[in-house]
Amino acid sequence: MAKDTRLEDAVMAGELSVFDFCCEKIEGQMERMKEKNPDLLWTLQIQYDMWHQVRDAHKNGKKLVFFGGPVPVDIIVAFDCVPVYLDTVPIRLSPNPTLTGKFIDSAEKYVPATTCGLCKTYLGTAIEEQYGVTPDAFVYSSVPCDSSRVVYPNMERIFNVPTFSFDQPFRRDDRGLEYLVDQNEQFVTWMEDFTGTKLDWDKMKETMTNANRTYELQGKCADLRKRKPCPLPGRMLVMNGTTNAMSCYPEMANLLEKELETGEMLSEMGMGPCPDGEKHRVALLQNMLWSFSGAMDWMEKEYGAVTVMDAFGYQHGELYEHMDDRHDCMKTIARKMQNSPMIHGAAGPTENYIYLVDKIFKDYEPDVSIFLGHIGCKHTWASAKIVTDMIQDRYGIPTLYLDVDGIDGRYKTHDEITGALGQYFETVVNK
Amino acid sequence: MDYQKLFKSEISGESVKAWKAQGKKALGVICCHVPVEILYALDIMPVRIRATGCTESPDGDAWMSTFSCSYARGMLQYVLDGTYDLDGIVTSDGCMMAARTFDNAEHVSKKANEGKFFYQIGAPRKTGALEQEFFVRELKDLIAELEKFSDNKLTDEKLKAAIANENEVRVLIQQVNALRNVKNPAISGEDALSIMLASTNCAVDEYIELLKAFLADAKNRTPITDKRARLMVIGSALDNPGYLKVIEDKGGLVVADDLCYGSKPFNHVMDVDDKDILGSIANYYLTRLVCPRMLDNRKAIQKEIVDTCKEYGIEGVIYEKMQYCECWGGESMYLEPDLKAIGVPMLIVEREEHLANAGQLAIRAEAFIEMIEK
Ligand code: SF4
Ligand code: SF4
Repeated sequence: MAKDTRLEDAVMAGELSVFDFCCEKIEGQMERMKEKNPDLLWTLQIQYDMWHQVRDAHKNGKKLVFFGGPVPVDIIVAFDCVPVYLDTVPIRLSPNPTLTGKFIDSAEKYVPATTCGLCKTYLGTAIEEQYGVTPDAFVYSSVPCDSSRVVYPNMERIFNVPTFSFDQPFRRDDRGLEYLVDQNEQFVTWMEDFTGTKLDWDKMKETMTNANRTYELQGKCADLRKRKPCPLPGRMLVMNGTTNAMSCYPEMANLLEKELETGEMLSEMGMGPCPDGEKHRVALLQNMLWSFSGAMDWMEKEYGAVTVMDAFGYQHGELYEHMDDRHDCMKTIARKMQNSPMIHGAAGPTENYIYLVDKIFKDYEPDVSIFLGHIGCKHTWASAKIVTDMIQDRYGIPTLYLDVDGIDGRYKTHDEITGALGQYFETVVNK
Repeated sequence: MDYQKLFKSEISGESVKAWKAQGKKALGVICCHVPVEILYALDIMPVRIRATGCTESPDGDAWMSTFSCSYARGMLQYVLDGTYDLDGIVTSDGCMMAARTFDNAEHVSKKANEGKFFYQIGAPRKTGALEQEFFVRELKDLIAELEKFSDNKLTDEKLKAAIANENEVRVLIQQVNALRNVKNPAISGEDALSIMLASTNCAVDEYIELLKAFLADAKNRTPITDKRARLMVIGSALDNPGYLKVIEDKGGLVVADDLCYGSKPFNHVMDVDDKDILGSIANYYLTRLVCPRMLDNRKAIQKEIVDTCKEYGIEGVIYEKMQYCECWGGESMYLEPDLKAIGVPMLIVEREEHLANAGQLAIRAEAFIEMIEK
């Protein structure tokens, strides 16, 4: 039966907005899941909640705050606004190269083709005026990278709505944190002006409590992956991106609770995602391959190789400790901003990246190292030799370098990717 | 005084050698948010690293991959292959490519136990009071480290003297640029860029004397009358005057630029508040319009380009983008319509550090100039 591409066609024709597409797509997926695999419905629920929350925000009387990079989402939520993490759009569209292609091509009229596919996709969506909802405010940060630093200010001008930007320092020390604390306080004042309400600390406590629950559970899920065999599939690592936007909502914690429960159960039964048992544990040194997350399933099936952790999504999960101490909370937020996915390893000096990757190798004991290098992420390519030399020196593991585009699936076919991975497993890992 | 040295654009270690022969230190500087005044005030010669003339960068490629811009790889190549003989490197966090040049250079040097000095300061990407305060703290740390390294003590007097020197350079370069803002300039864009590049590896006192000698002799130079279009070049770090020569050989005359190795760092003179010298330095380096690495200066940079077009009678803008340079990659969205509004066309060209595509540039520049003429 031919694939039903009506929704995709409508986006291509400019008749359906991206957020409508995301909503309708997830509704369809859930319908099918209800029939075929109702036990797994929970895996989709968070996406349903996230896309609908954005699409229906104005209907529900809420303000939409688009954001890029590490920003204090918890504060946005405490003001009862809906945060919209720009990265989730390209990640959601990336399995369909035609769709991302439309927006990427549009962006390339204004920014270099070498700009990150994530940035090109959300810029292109703005140029094509296809978000389907209008942001009420835009908040962004000076990290992670040159791509985002070029694209965010351009989007600021396209959106033309109240905007706040954060200057994130590369320092991870107390000075860097206090610098962010000061900016967070400025941000609170800005949000008060923008919403016309004062920050309600009880509401803030509520969001912080929710966020704590989310990150505690995320930490536990990450810990589960240390077990041998690793009970959770590689593709679930992709959820870490969603956490960024949704950590303050109980729905996120509910999903992670389910994930943890399932993982625990599988672990007790000695089971994991590899049908013939776990033979290898893979560390991805860069991004998840969003445009082809099936590559994770493929490695599990073909080589018994489960992806235990990726260096971009991995988080240490900062928790609030003293919720009545405003300064302490602001400092925790600052720490979260510095330790958020992609930022912690990629944005600063290479030593941050080394620290993170070393931690993955210590904690997860992978025996396969793959630098699935998203081509947009040039600055991680430029650190890769330092990092992979460290892995070779400390752990005796060579690394496969494979250039991919995590968003633009037109860059390499699935066959090319699995071909290169397969060759590596045959000639190096299983030699 | 013979000022021909100003036109030698290849990297020269001559000045550094003479400086070091006096028992003083010389440090490489990456990017342009490191206040060179501080280094000079501590008797350290700052040498802004560049990649001029780098045709192959095997070491740079190996460490940074070919997904990095060739300028950044070229700088690393020169640091690693001994083209530069320096006592270390100071950098601010400019574009990520330049940052990685520093990271890799430091890594290789430390691995080889060279005992060199490596230091990075954080330069904020916004220009508010909070950011300035942060930058001042970064500068204080830098000073403390440099004092240890140079065995020197910084005083207000030394700092003010160094600022006065740099301001003198800025004024002199502005005078060079004024020579270009006439109907028939006596200096080509190629020569002007060479003069500015000389600042990167020439000690400041010597550079001032060379500039003065050139300016005194400028009236004796023959005005250039055979060019067909007044052009401005903007874009990624360009440290190769040969690139402008290709354009000028096709009949254009580059009378203005917006380059971080060109006019940009000299366009503004530092105002000094004697009660807060470091604050003045921080304010100057964060607010001068050099590079779109800042988040909040885009509109101002674009406005300055448009204003320069009007002031210098520019007939066309050439926007050169280094491949893999995002920092300078995204200016066209709003700049192009702004230029259109004043009737100035823009040609966008991609380039690499070495002039591999000179033929293509020549063809496109020629077509652009012809289009302007019509
Ligand atoms: S994937 Fe890399 S290049 Fe893209 S936004 Fe993230 S850090 Fe920047
Ligand atoms: S373009 Fe900007 S970031 Fe890059 S070297 Fe020049 S000043 Fe530094």
